Amino acid sequence: MIQKWLDTLDRWAEKATRKDARVHSRRAFLSGFGASVIGVGAVTLLPVFRGGAFAQQAGSEEGDPNSCDYWRHCAIDGYLCGCCGGTVSSCPPGTVVSDITWIGTCRNPADGRDYIISYNDCCGKSTCGRCVCQRDQGDTPIYRPQTSNDLNWCAGSQADVPYHCSLSVVIGVNE
Amino acid sequence: MSSNLCLPLRPPFAVVAVLLGGWILHGEAHAATSSVQAAYMLGCQGCHLEDGRGFPQRGVPALDGFVGNFLKVPGGREYLVRVPGAAQSELSDERLADVLNWMLRTFSSAQLPADFTPYTAPEVGRLRKSPLVEVAPVRVELLRRLETVASP
Repeated sequence: MIQKWLDTLDRWAEKATRKDARVHSRRAFLSGFGASVIGVGAVTLLPVFRGGAFAQQAGSEEGDPNSCDYWRHCAIDGYLCGCCGGTVSSCPPGTVVSDITWIGTCRNPADGRDYIISYNDCCGKSTCGRCVCQRDQGDTPIYRPQTSNDLNWCAGSQADVPYHCSLSVVIGVNE
Repeated sequence: MSSNLCLPLRPPFAVVAVLLGGWILHGEAHAATSSVQAAYMLGCQGCHLEDGRGFPQRGVPALDGFVGNFLKVPGGREYLVRVPGAAQSELSDERLADVLNWMLRTFSSAQLPADFTPYTAPEVGRLRKSPLVEVAPVRVELLRRLETVASP
């Protein structure tokens, strides 16, 4: 009984393979397979914020995101992740974004609109130490913690301490 | 076996798929945020997160799919205004009422009682004058009452 079933399966597989070999050339398969591999790889390079997938794009922007006077950093207190192997909106490899964070607004000089900025910390590696930036616009004393940038937000995240660097992610427009 | 199953992805389709995926993932640029949602973002979202799921492991309660339950038990309506994050926020009474109503409808409409009446500015203004100092015991008691309501 089992032998009969195996013979049937064998015939079916042989027939399907021969039919497929007649229809498709090896070169066509290789070219399509190669394109698929490149396509899948390219998707992971798209400019998205992978931590919470909530980043928005500001309108037009001017300036260097790795410079402390860049418009989005108006209330930041920390090391710029763009100088630490990440970008202004994505954490460096080997670190984890702190979901719990503080949120403020910065005016974009390129279009005059106030954008809502999320200052998530990246956690899990020792302090980055590059591009320190402290601007504190709208920063409040620590007894008003919702808008204080002196807190180590890594301590409240799933990533836990230590702190590595800070992001400035656009999440909305305040009008 | 259909021979179509063996057909590899053709290069033009791969390019279209990548571009389409990028467009979808990149999000809506320049989208103006509603003023009440912006108030939530600036005053609440840092801890309760963008979808209201909170961070219960670190003591930030989840709003999503739950917060409306508090309106089913005595003291629950008052509790949502008297918690420190609401009572001591920088929002005016009117804006705080707007944000509370928005949170209840956005994150927990399924749990809202059928006779839900939205918060008003005078009600919120009166309640926030007595903010909770010890939040946890009040919350525990309200959750106990909720269990009673859920399983009479």
